[in-house]
Amino acid sequence: MDTQALGLTLRLALSTTVLLLLLALPLARWIAAGSGPLRAMAQAVVALPLVLPPTVLGFYLLVALGPLTAPGRLIIRLLGHPLAFSFSGLLVGSVLYSLPFAVQPLVSGFRAIDPALLEAAATLGASPLRAFGTITLPLAKPSILTAAVLTFTHTVGEFGVVLMLGGNIPGATRTLSIALYDQVQDFDYTAANRTAATLLAFSLLTLVAIYWRRSERRSLLA
Amino acid sequence: MRLNTPTDSTGLGALRHLRTVVPLAALLLCLVPSSAHSQGPSAAREIHVLAAADLQSALPALADAFQHATGIKLVASYASSATLATQLLNGDPADLFLAADFSYPEKIVAANLADTASPIPYARGTLVLFARKDSPLQPINQNTLLDPRVQSIAMADPMHAPYGVAAQRALFSMKLDEKLKPHLVIAQNVAQAAQFVESGNAQLGFISLTLASSEHMQQIGTYLRIQPDTYPPLNQFAVVMKNSAHRADAHAFLDWLLSPPIQHNLRNYGLDPVR
Repeated sequence: MDTQALGLTLRLALSTTVLLLLLALPLARWIAAGSGPLRAMAQAVVALPLVLPPTVLGFYLLVALGPLTAPGRLIIRLLGHPLAFSFSGLLVGSVLYSLPFAVQPLVSGFRAIDPALLEAAATLGASPLRAFGTITLPLAKPSILTAAVLTFTHTVGEFGVVLMLGGNIPGATRTLSIALYDQVQDFDYTAANRTAATLLAFSLLTLVAIYWRRSERRSLLA
Repeated sequence: MRLNTPTDSTGLGALRHLRTVVPLAALLLCLVPSSAHSQGPSAAREIHVLAAADLQSALPALADAFQHATGIKLVASYASSATLATQLLNGDPADLFLAADFSYPEKIVAANLADTASPIPYARGTLVLFARKDSPLQPINQNTLLDPRVQSIAMADPMHAPYGVAAQRALFSMKLDEKLKPHLVIAQNVAQAAQFVESGNAQLGFISLTLASSEHMQQIGTYLRIQPDTYPPLNQFAVVMKNSAHRADAHAFLDWLLSPPIQHNLRNYGLDPVR
């Protein structure tokens, strides 16, 4: 088992989850707050990673944001290196790739909140920010948890973007899925088995936890 | 990608629902690409080739010439030699394996999947160092690797690509392996290494002369041959698959590839002749 790859994968998944929740909370709040073509557009863009192959994202990050373009050169000036072959590059890729997994549960969570509660809060003099913090967030807690868990697990399972963008650098971009790919290529099926079984067990346990929580909640409500 | 027709859709249940199954089966048949594994006398002759990534720029032209000469079409898939060997060991129905070294086709022989007792040499490759023309490291020479501005050097993965092994051994011989280790960017195969340096994401790249000789790469960059005594010769070997239905055609291609005029021409594609 490649423990360095395991550590890196967990670090990437955790960083992606934190960063993505910070981005997705306000975005989902805005999307859930109304309707119209602009919001439909935003939702469509957010959902794109669900339908596009990860290679599309990998290609754009590698080439369109590479050193040959103006935005790419700006990134190099900011980071000191190109997005490719770096942990920060994988982080950007993972945030974009897991966007729908964070935003969509949050949007449905926010939409499920009775607007009367927020109106009541406003009548009582609460600022929108305070209402968001004291009413929306606590009520949407299950959705936030779902968003976080889905983002985390989806990042652990990421392969295509990392393969195109990563450069397979131990400790920086060699995630578990890449390590597994290498082990299979190297005919090291014992190691591959261990890595695959770890990923399988981890994903299964996480999903069981999510569904279990959901069914518990439902039975509590009933 | 290949589509397979489901074989168990014609069970007892299917007989009872013949009226729904027949149109469905017809629909499925339409989905099967007509080019995949077409057989029979009237079908066009085709061989499926798994080719090492260094051949990505050379093989299309060779395949065209071969088809022109014989009417046999080559359908090629490219990846690192190890990737292709894994595929073949796990039942890939290809007819011919053109590897970039000896060890991977030897694995096919050892698994009793090849139709010859040993792999057949067909060409020798060359390792080069490539940089874009707009790189500040130009003009590149033997000392470029020592330049303090070098931050990223792409190479194929030594774990599964022969050109990666060659690059690793060359760095070791030049006593640069420890020094440059933090700057190495590992690609899945030599074609991806070329892409990394082509797109400017890596400043330098250890790639094959075949890829560096392609029209596009010649336009955008320059290359430097790595001293041949610093890495083991990149002798490239092939095997024809024992279970192939097109063994004769696959051998016809190998014989053609090994014929003097074609061997003589290999240099145009960045390969050295073996005969």
